[in-house]
Amino acid sequence: MSNTKTPAQELQKHLQQLSDAFALRLQEDLPALRQDAEQLLNAAEPQEQLRCLQTIREQLHKLAGAAGTFGFSRLGQRARELEQEAEHWLTTLQQEQQSLQDFSQSLQQLANQVYQPEPEPSPAPASASPSKAPQRERRIYILEDQYAVGETMRLTLNNFGYQAEHFTRIAELDHALQQQRPDALILDVNLPDENVTGLAYAASLQERLDEPLPLLVTTTQDDFATHLEAVRVGAMGFFTKPVDIPQLENRLERCFAQQQGEPYRVLIIDDDRELASRFSLILRGANMLVEMQHDPAEIFTHMRNFNPEVILLDVNMPNCTGPELAQIIRMYDDWLRVPIIYLSAETDINRQMNALIKAGDDFVTKPISDNALVAAVFSRAQRARLLSNALSRDSLTGLLKHADIKEQAAVELERAQRSGKPASVAMLDIDFFKKVNDSHGHAAGDNVIRALANLLRQRLRRIDSLGRYGGEEFLVVLPDCTAEQALRVLDEIRQRFAELKFIAAGSEFSVTLSAGIASTEAAPVSASELLEKADQALYAAKHGGRNQVR
Amino acid sequence: MPDLRRILHVEDDPSIQAVTKLALEVVGGFQVLSCACGQDALDQLQGFAPDFILLDVMMPGMDGPQTLAQIARLIDINQVPVAFMTAKVQPAEIAYYCSLGARDVIIKPFDPMQLASQVRTIWNRAHE
Repeated sequence: MSNTKTPAQELQKHLQQLSDAFALRLQEDLPALRQDAEQLLNAAEPQEQLRCLQTIREQLHKLAGAAGTFGFSRLGQRARELEQEAEHWLTTLQQEQQSLQDFSQSLQQLANQVYQPEPEPSPAPASASPSKAPQRERRIYILEDQYAVGETMRLTLNNFGYQAEHFTRIAELDHALQQQRPDALILDVNLPDENVTGLAYAASLQERLDEPLPLLVTTTQDDFATHLEAVRVGAMGFFTKPVDIPQLENRLERCFAQQQGEPYRVLIIDDDRELASRFSLILRGANMLVEMQHDPAEIFTHMRNFNPEVILLDVNMPNCTGPELAQIIRMYDDWLRVPIIYLSAETDINRQMNALIKAGDDFVTKPISDNALVAAVFSRAQRARLLSNALSRDSLTGLLKHADIKEQAAVELERAQRSGKPASVAMLDIDFFKKVNDSHGHAAGDNVIRALANLLRQRLRRIDSLGRYGGEEFLVVLPDCTAEQALRVLDEIRQRFAELKFIAAGSEFSVTLSAGIASTEAAPVSASELLEKADQALYAAKHGGRNQVR
Repeated sequence: MPDLRRILHVEDDPSIQAVTKLALEVVGGFQVLSCACGQDALDQLQGFAPDFILLDVMMPGMDGPQTLAQIARLIDINQVPVAFMTAKVQPAEIAYYCSLGARDVIIKPFDPMQLASQVRTIWNRAHE
């Protein structure tokens, strides 16, 4: 009867057989895992624990990779989570016997259950391109007992592209938190109708959660004690009422950017391979990307290929000392922003200082605890990245600068012409911007510019490029987008921008923008011609009465 | 553009080996040679003359990146694109693997019905 089957059915049959075989294999793999879990618990020596963990991690890694492919998606998912936990244990294997016991129990639970392929279609075809990650709206909860104040905040944040919800009572917020965890919480400190303060509530809330919630607080109390209390409950922003919402939005954006940052890149240069491997393991455990280099002479290749954000440098190496190598690195302007941390058994403070005077930024003495190493590297890397971003991007808006966005426009248009798909550019300008500066001050003007930048970032697609073209002028490049689509998108942005409420010196104001669009649909044009056309359209919008898109 | 016919697959897990072979041969119509470890792959490389190579990242002995480095000494990986398969994915890791010379990363778990077209896409992009 098999010869009446279609090839598709034949394939399904084979897949089924493989899935059955995998299920059979689980009957051996899972008991083995259970045994290792028990062994881990009974292991007396740290060395033995390490060995057990290594085996367990390898087994979990295999399960994580394979189970989903055969339809056992729940098992695969859980194995993946436990694999990460195993990795965590491998790097921080120390006391904490209790949690290790829990981990062993989770493993046994995983191994003890009976699994069947779940009926729903197996995992979504995974695309590996990082740029295609779907962008969902961020969910923000607001706790603000004054209804009108909270609603204004909610509407403004929605205009920025967030999905904000507003609650006036703690009980309502608690209910919502049980339904779904938001990406951030904005909390009023002063809640006269509740029997706890906002910060006391926040403290108990953070305690309840497995992972602390990014928190911004709003308050009428501007004193040091309130600042301190806010920091202690994990607040990442502090705003005195009346709240400048664009500024608050700016802070939210920064919280998220910090959270989703890519791992820091660390280069370790040490001729002691064993020690370098150990450091590398510790830093990888803290989610950094690490490369090791044992021969100082290869420094240029490594610097160029890996582009490290921090360099860990051994002081005593044969042929070339750490300080000498540091001086070589410092001969190049491109690498000035990369902090150099010396690693050494040198405890003599004078010799340490001598090394630092030549070049280099910090000294870490071996032996060093895992946590101290991670902290030393992390803080340097974080600072280096912030600085590096600040240098290449417009400091006020975080967008590309004039020359870079123009270059981006040329690249995109060329790509569009090759692919035969239309592309559009839009030139935006804030209406009567000079009046904002004159009547509300330059700080208020800066806020308006930053707000428009953030609004554009929220509303546009990831493939779109965005730059600050001039003082209050922005350029947007929209690949794979017709003039009509561009008009729709930009007009929505125009409306939302007009709805934003700004506050300066206690008074409220709003601002409008004009935009001009040009697209490649009509005829093939050069980048400069297209920008010229967009500029003319912008000019027409200004003369047509402003607050419009042409 | 050369034709994509022969694929060398390096993977130590027998279940994944089997399902990958099935997916690529039956769905994609390719010819697949499976190797259980990096050394095995290096030994077979020139005899099999693959058009495309799929490498598991985490393997005992020589791991994926090490195997790739050895492969690159023997053949021109611009002509014979190499892709990694792994369960671990962060954008920076993908960028890292690509910096080693891989064309792309296929994420585990994968859908057997889609694998051949994923490979085809990577192949086409490599020969654009």
